[in-house]
Amino acid sequence: MIWSLAFSALSRRPIRTFLTALGIAVAVGSMVIFLSLGEGLRKAFASQIGSIGPDLQVSFGDFDASASFTMLPELPAYYLTELRQKSSEFGIKRATPLLSHFRAGLSPSNSFVFQGLPPEENLADLFSGFKLNEGRSLSIEDETSEVALIGAQVAKRSQLTLGRQLRLNGDYSFEIVGIVSSSEGIVDNSIIVPLKSLQAALGITDKLSFITLDLDEPSRAAETAKKLKAAYPDLGFQTRADVLGVLEQGVKVTDVVRLGISTIALIVGAIAVANTMMMSVFERTREFGVVRAIGARPRFLFGLVLGEALLLSFVGAVAGVILGRLGMIAVNAISINLIGLEVAALTLRLVIFAVAVAFLMGLVSGLVPAFRAARISIATAMARE
Amino acid sequence: MVAVVVAVVAVAVAKVLRALSLNKTYALPSGNVTALQNFSYDFKAAKVTAIVGPSGSGKSTLLNLLAGLDSPSTGTIYLNETNLGQLSEAARAELRLKHFGFVFQSFNLLNILTAWQNVAFPMGLAGETLQKRKAHAEALLKRFGLGERLHHLPYKLSGGERQRVALARALANNPDVIFADEPTGNLDSKSGSIVLDALFEVAAEGRTVIIVTHNLELAKRAHELIFLSDGKLTNAPTNLSELALT
Ligand SMILES: Nc1ncnc2c1ncn2[C@@H]1O[C@H](COP(=O)(O)OP(=O)(O)O)[C@@H](O)[C@H]1O
Ligand SMILES: [Mg+2]
Repeated sequence: MIWSLAFSALSRRPIRTFLTALGIAVAVGSMVIFLSLGEGLRKAFASQIGSIGPDLQVSFGDFDASASFTMLPELPAYYLTELRQKSSEFGIKRATPLLSHFRAGLSPSNSFVFQGLPPEENLADLFSGFKLNEGRSLSIEDETSEVALIGAQVAKRSQLTLGRQLRLNGDYSFEIVGIVSSSEGIVDNSIIVPLKSLQAALGITDKLSFITLDLDEPSRAAETAKKLKAAYPDLGFQTRADVLGVLEQGVKVTDVVRLGISTIALIVGAIAVANTMMMSVFERTREFGVVRAIGARPRFLFGLVLGEALLLSFVGAVAGVILGRLGMIAVNAISINLIGLEVAALTLRLVIFAVAVAFLMGLVSGLVPAFRAARISIATAMARE
Repeated sequence: MVAVVVAVVAVAVAKVLRALSLNKTYALPSGNVTALQNFSYDFKAAKVTAIVGPSGSGKSTLLNLLAGLDSPSTGTIYLNETNLGQLSEAARAELRLKHFGFVFQSFNLLNILTAWQNVAFPMGLAGETLQKRKAHAEALLKRFGLGERLHHLPYKLSGGERQRVALARALANNPDVIFADEPTGNLDSKSGSIVLDALFEVAAEGRTVIIVTHNLELAKRAHELIFLSDGKLTNAPTNLSELALT
């Protein structure tokens, strides 16, 4: 009976109810969008690194996700020779050197990540589902030449075609000889150039960003990492889980910020609900007096008002999730275009979280008005015009 | 015919309402206002008791105290052995729900509910099933000639019809006492007398009916008369028509 009464009470003032629900929807919707960004990043990391990354990644010192893009390569190249010599001892199937260089531009379409790899590497071994879409791949002959394979997304985003020159700095440009893609998409956003020519262009000869290791027994990666760390204390060895963990830490930091912004939106929404409920309790004082006179307990009015607040919040939350979903489609359309990633994702846990938060919001904002309704003095309430 | 119906729905053994030395003082910034002084009375079951007196003499205050809607400053109210003042707020609500019925001057129906839903509302509070609520509400409304108005919202009913819905609602949980504060105050004389007839009929079933009124005809017709003046129970003037009721 309480729920149908609460529903009737809300539908009696359709415009006010609609506007309040809209307020909640906007608050919940913006929370969903903000939080979905983290979910999208997590998904992207998990699928790209979790499934196709190397078994172990070797860094100089401990690995720090934010530093890896911005800092100069520090890993001395002689460790590659060292590790290759000891490959049977540690069960290493393949050791691949990697030099990453981020060329920042004014706009995302002018910013590129150069990946220096030995041109004789079979790229299909490194990237699952590797595919040459146009042009040719790299070979040993390209060792010192300024040529590049670019990912399909990069080509699309920056409108690059075969034969075009890609400037790295004032002295060096790379000619695009092939356009490539892979099933997991990681290659699609990269520019692959011969390791030696990238080192020359950057003016370094003996340094790498990382060495990636593929193991004979990938399931024993953690164990191998420990053994390697004991042998080479200056280096860091990260399993896929370690890399994901570091990235997860990075996303977590942004979680705090995004949750903070969402909380402000939610507080504003909660105040709107509290205000609406307070007003409606005030307007219905006489009616509530009558209901109490007839024999309703204080608890009944408490439940009725709280029920109305919860109903309002729930409707707002459902609309908010839908609104958030639409917002995410827009955000992803933009992010795909800019960086080739869907940064926003609507996960089940996010939907549950949003509805739970809205429920809590209804509960909190309905409490004071509900107490008010429960504690009215019957005689005074009924004397009101 | 009416007598037969009355016999069938009569209240088994009506509970007795008693007031003992009631005082009510309102504290206002301008000083204390004594609305009721040393009021004692034993109300009789199966009778209509009219409370009359000039405006501001404390009639509504008295009715509110008797019905447990407000608490006296001192004094006690008993329904049989139950002292209303010693009950918790929830228990007093429960007592009103099961034993009291209310009819107000301005009807006070819930405007989001239809006629039958208004009548069924107190039964819902008492935990009756929907089926029983519906059947009983329909029977009560038919009894008061509103069989065609079951699904009307209050704003579509005339004043007299609304007051009969209110009376049906007051009877929903088969109460011992009916309180009515100027039930005909907003009605024309024809609708007014229909409602009054119904109230007398309800008293004949064995219930205690207490009516605050300005209506001279009703004051004459009532079985018992309480005359209030400045919050005190006084002897009514021998010639009722001399009452300064308005
Ligand atoms: N809630 C209240 N606060 C203060 N004074 C009140 C209140 N209710 C009634 N009074 C005062 O008590 C007296 C009796 O009022 P009331 O019982 O309403 O009289 P009646 O119903 O006979 O017109 C009046 O003087 C009125 O002003
Ligand atoms: Mg009055």
